[in-house]
Amino acid sequence: MACQGLSKGETVSSLRAESENLKAKLEEERSKLHDVELHQVAEKVEALGQFVMKTRRTLKGHGNKVLCMDWCRDKRRIVSSSQDGKVIVWDAYTTNKEHAVTMPCTWVMACAYAPSGCAIACGGLDNKCSVYPLSLDKNENLSAKKKSVAMHTNYLSSCSFTNSDMQLLTSSGDGTCALWDVESGQLLQSFHGHSADVLSLNLAPSETGNTFVSGGCDKKANVWDMRSGQNIQSFETHESDINCVRYYPSGDAFATGSDDATCRLYDLRADREVAIYSKESIIFGASSVDFSLSGRLLFAGYNDYTINVWDVLKGTRVAILFGHENRVSTVRVSPDGTAFCSGSWDNTLRRWAGYSFRFVYCCIWTL
Amino acid sequence: MIITQIHQLDMAKGRRQVSQMSEFPLFSGSFNRWPKMSTNNNIAQARKLVEQLRIEAGIERIKVSKAAADLMSYCEQHARSDALLVGVPTSENPFKDKKPCILL
Repeated sequence: MACQGLSKGETVSSLRAESENLKAKLEEERSKLHDVELHQVAEKVEALGQFVMKTRRTLKGHGNKVLCMDWCRDKRRIVSSSQDGKVIVWDAYTTNKEHAVTMPCTWVMACAYAPSGCAIACGGLDNKCSVYPLSLDKNENLSAKKKSVAMHTNYLSSCSFTNSDMQLLTSSGDGTCALWDVESGQLLQSFHGHSADVLSLNLAPSETGNTFVSGGCDKKANVWDMRSGQNIQSFETHESDINCVRYYPSGDAFATGSDDATCRLYDLRADREVAIYSKESIIFGASSVDFSLSGRLLFAGYNDYTINVWDVLKGTRVAILFGHENRVSTVRVSPDGTAFCSGSWDNTLRRWAGYSFRFVYCCIWTL
Repeated sequence: MIITQIHQLDMAKGRRQVSQMSEFPLFSGSFNRWPKMSTNNNIAQARKLVEQLRIEAGIERIKVSKAAADLMSYCEQHARSDALLVGVPTSENPFKDKKPCILL
């Protein structure tokens, strides 16, 4: 097969040279606008006081490592999935199990609640993402109504419904992300650009439009346009796999947690990394991150069994939470921001709540 | 037939152990790093990379000081409604423990 349409004078080496030039130009453009650090600008912000955060409920019932969890929009229910193939829907108030599904595969690495609260999606080593409608009848066998939606050529690492129950976004070990129509199972858009497994994805908060961010084993975090499939922005400053990506509540930035033991904040409009959350004493990878409602706090779960709470603006750690007896695999703040839930390889989930004392004091004083 | 995947990454990671321990048939030939490709693909890849970089280089950017100020003002505006920051009045907290409350 003849070489496909090389333009005049274009060779592989000239293209490579041009890409090097463009990379240098990109760095230059980004540096020009790097006039100050985030924590410097945040010096005038009131420091957070002492944190008091405790486990309020422990959810026991999984027979093996909890790998993923998601909150329902009703702020009360959660779905969690584990290594043994079980997917459980819990009531976080009462700790009762409302539904349980046994998947035909082990290592169910991804699970998500539908916006309506009427269905869940999950998948893992079966390379698929399946949707299970939840029925009010507890005795009904959910597996009977199972619908296979997504098909990848490697494990499913993460899934998320878009703003409706009708579309599902997935990421996979095959290096791609994909958008699917739930009803027909049709592939609507695929996203190519990662050069290794994609481990996590997160949809932008709805006000900011149709974009999402993904992170993977190629150490890159990519921002995508959902309609065109185009990779809009790419960030590569981590030194190891990016395990989790999560948008800042305003949609203007996102945080990542990585195996290099750091979490980083990237601002989309400044097009660069603006903060690193790390300490010399933290040497284990961060598996999962999530923001509090205002974006001031970043909760990060680590492989050393702890959860660190970071002050997003100042870049300092404000609390370490102990409790889990094995790696923390997933951390998610509830939709109303009143609590957050963590899942771990110790087979349990914990719901945490609490606040900063000093901040309460300051608020009362100014009223 | 179970085909074990070859991984070049750290074996201690749970995720990498996954494929080796799997009982489910894996027919994928994909690897964590793409295998070497033919010259034609090299050209196509290089061209794609150049196009991608052109797009990225051409986007509009703002100064970090402005971006930081916006992040800070968002935090400030929403701080009062962030229960993990300021707490929730015990009367409204559905998860409260049944204990007498201590006034600060």
